[in-house]
Amino acid sequence: MIADFDEDPPRRQFETLIPLINVVFLLLIFFLLAGTMTPADNVAVNLPVGALSDDEREMPATLLVEADGFVWLGERVIDPKIAEQALKEYLADKGKERVAIKADAEASAEALLLLMEALRKVGVQQVTIVTERGR
Amino acid sequence: MFDEPVRKRNMASLTPLIDVVFLLLIFFMLTTSFLKTQSLSVVTPSPSAEELPTDARVVEIWLMGDGTLRVDGTPVEAENLAEAVKAGIGGRKDMTVTILAESGSRTQVFVTAIEAARQAGARDVGTARVEKITP
Repeated sequence: MIADFDEDPPRRQFETLIPLINVVFLLLIFFLLAGTMTPADNVAVNLPVGALSDDEREMPATLLVEADGFVWLGERVIDPKIAEQALKEYLADKGKERVAIKADAEASAEALLLLMEALRKVGVQQVTIVTERGR
Repeated sequence: MFDEPVRKRNMASLTPLIDVVFLLLIFFMLTTSFLKTQSLSVVTPSPSAEELPTDARVVEIWLMGDGTLRVDGTPVEAENLAEAVKAGIGGRKDMTVTILAESGSRTQVFVTAIEAARQAGARDVGTARVEKITP
């Protein structure tokens, strides 16, 4: 009688793993299909909420405005008041047609406008402000 | 006599497979982003606010430093902004909306104002920053 108990358990162990693997596979497929892979930004910004979308796609040049008003141009951090020369260098190989700005919702509008003014001086006529879809 | 080894092959170890699938799962979980962004095209402002038109075909949105909004001097709630601007435009097709941002106003309010102006049917949306708005 006692010997009977020892025989079955080893085979059963594998069977209990199969539902787990199924779930993990499902999760994997979900993340594969539902997610979009985007290159990470240098800093995380809280995008402002908006309702309109102009549906622009490829943006070769993206500028980040942090909540404290400083601007990230690629690897450089700069005050928007003196950004003109740096913008000229940054946009030299990216073109001036498609410039996106990711500004923090809490950043002062003044910093954003200063940056946009500097962009105008460099020759950028239109920029795209990135927003998050509203509720 | 030959039956035995074949039967043992059935249970090839699943563990390496599960390890790989887990690694893939963690990779996709960390790299995907579900944030849906949209873009808002804005014309860059000219550095001096004097270049903005000031005649009768202009509706001004003021972004006050304390976060409140005014349309041509009248205080307006953020939800009613588009309607107020629409009332200011009054169905005309050649109206310009000028957004004046006082220092201290935030990017979120700025984006809201641009969208309201666009939704109200403005032909052009101009932006400028001012130190202090004097009614």
